[in-house]
Amino acid sequence: MEAADLSHHTSRRFNEDLERVRSKVLAMGGLVEEQLAGALNALIEGDSKLGQAVARNDHTVNGMEVSIDEECSRILATRAPAAGDLRMIVATIKTITDLERIGDECEKIAHIAARLANDERPADRYRAVKHLGRITQTMVRDMLDAFARLDAQLAVTTARNDRRVDEEYEAIHRQCITFMMEDPRTIRRALDIMWVVRALERVGDHAKNVCEYIIYMVHGKDVRHTSLERVEQEIKSRNAQS
Amino acid sequence: MTGSKWWWTWLAARVVIALAAGFLLGLLFGYPYTGITIVLSALLVRELWALRRVQRWLQGVPGVEAPEVGGVWGDVVSLIANLQRRKQYHKQRLLRLLRELRRATAAIPDGVVALNSQAEILWFNRTAARLLHLRARTDVGLRIENLVRQPEFIRYLRAGDYAQAVVVGAALDADLYLHMQLVPYGDGQSLLLVRDVSRQQRLEAMRKDFVANASHELRSPLTVIAGYLETLAQDRSIDPSLQAPLAEMRRQSSRMTGIIEDLLSLSKLEASHGAADREAINVVAMMTQLRRDLLARIDPGTVVQIAAQSTDRLLGDETQVHSAFANLLDNAAKYTAAGGSIVMRWWADRDGGHFAVEDTGIGIAPEHLPRLTERFYRVDPGRSRATGGSGLGLAIVKHVLQRHGGTLEIASVEGHGSTFTCHFPPDRLVTGVATA
Repeated sequence: MEAADLSHHTSRRFNEDLERVRSKVLAMGGLVEEQLAGALNALIEGDSKLGQAVARNDHTVNGMEVSIDEECSRILATRAPAAGDLRMIVATIKTITDLERIGDECEKIAHIAARLANDERPADRYRAVKHLGRITQTMVRDMLDAFARLDAQLAVTTARNDRRVDEEYEAIHRQCITFMMEDPRTIRRALDIMWVVRALERVGDHAKNVCEYIIYMVHGKDVRHTSLERVEQEIKSRNAQS
Repeated sequence: MTGSKWWWTWLAARVVIALAAGFLLGLLFGYPYTGITIVLSALLVRELWALRRVQRWLQGVPGVEAPEVGGVWGDVVSLIANLQRRKQYHKQRLLRLLRELRRATAAIPDGVVALNSQAEILWFNRTAARLLHLRARTDVGLRIENLVRQPEFIRYLRAGDYAQAVVVGAALDADLYLHMQLVPYGDGQSLLLVRDVSRQQRLEAMRKDFVANASHELRSPLTVIAGYLETLAQDRSIDPSLQAPLAEMRRQSSRMTGIIEDLLSLSKLEASHGAADREAINVVAMMTQLRRDLLARIDPGTVVQIAAQSTDRLLGDETQVHSAFANLLDNAAKYTAAGGSIVMRWWADRDGGHFAVEDTGIGIAPEHLPRLTERFYRVDPGRSRATGGSGLGLAIVKHVLQRHGGTLEIASVEGHGSTFTCHFPPDRLVTGVATA
């Protein structure tokens, strides 16, 4: 199978339709990026109003998923796309599902942030969350950039970073448990933190999924259950051939 | 020289001479016409051979230089070589210009991105790449909104109104703020100018925090002072000659409290982000209540009327809207002499909902109109000090309207009166339900 070639169509309208869908997905991605940034900010700065605003705004993300899904179904029904275009539509439908789930995780973080805003800020613990948040935000941004550029190499690199997210998550988890054992009074807050980092870990997983769809979209290879090293080798050999 | 008719004449002469020689030579052997044929063939072969060399040269077969041939083709070759040299010269000039332009745009401290009519990237400078996280070369041809995904920016791009700029937070860096403005040019193309305004945003934030904090801190001491002054005013044992000073102190402290309350409202309005809430407000009921409150405060001679042509409700923040309308009424009352009239109007049409306060007061000279909503702006400082007020009322009204997507319209004739109209957009209107 060849790399996705979105520029050759019998109908120019079709091309425009596909471009429009892509832009809609990326607009949804931009909103999700903003939600993630807002939720983390609300937590770290103790801004309960921002937390509530982010939580309320999740319905906009859901609305975008529905709208793009309808558009994709329409294209499938009326244009019956094939090869690269079909892969793109299929990958898009899966991507928006993961984006919507990332939005849901942001809503969870925002709710907790709004609640914790009234408590005292613990400088050190939020630093770890801030760090994990930054890695996750970078993953989401890179995955969306890879989608926009149809860059499979970037997708692979980004998918790799999920490992770091998992490691950080484990570390914070252990830390929280230690705190809880030392001082039972911190249990409530530690539990909240654990929910937040769990949500971030899931965001990383969803971002990795989208990267796998991007690789599928560009190279036609389903890499969902393949090791990333093999995927990278595969991509390198294809780039050498073309 | 080439192409002059002498040259062609000379060529023709040479051909004739060659033919004549051939004829004569052939005549020697008894075949004069064969002689001519041979000469003609030789000439033809020579020209065809030269032509082939020229053709190979033009085709760009590697290793073939410009052939040095005589005759017609020789001249053609040198003409073509000339043309090529000139084209090369022009091309080098253009390339040089382009390089200069590139270097100039790279030197601009702001980011510049050129977009075509589809908002696809044509080129961008290094600063733009850094600020917007673009990748040199590979991102050319992609739509800008696919890579710069902030919802605020996408809305700005789609809205099409580029008179204003927009400030968006950078995606990953919470401290980076980008001032972005689209400048259309040429045939549907546009330039996106990006500037790092993080420092200005920080300063703005510090200023707003300072105002809010200072006002808050000033509130409590003032409340204490006002309390004591009130007690003293009612204390019979105080020397009567102190009554007047005490009354003045109470007035001034009340004025300070008013200014601080207004500063705090304004701070709260500035701090709130985005559009106002959308609860349904019964405007007619609010006007009735405002009228009652106003009549209790002002001179009995002044007439306050309500002209409500619509029962539509307003979707907004009740507190903010009440504050805005009250401020407008206060202004009308302040600047209208006893016996004048104040009319409140509320109507709805295709363009939305409109609330107006019309008075028969002293009016405002046209030169003051553009600055009226500035904070602390006074048309007549002397008079304002006497009538009180914080100077923030109209700034508050303007901010409230902004939060509701509306605008403030001011019309006034000096000596006759003024009309302040609040225009609300149609999406803030709910068709009135007839109340029982």
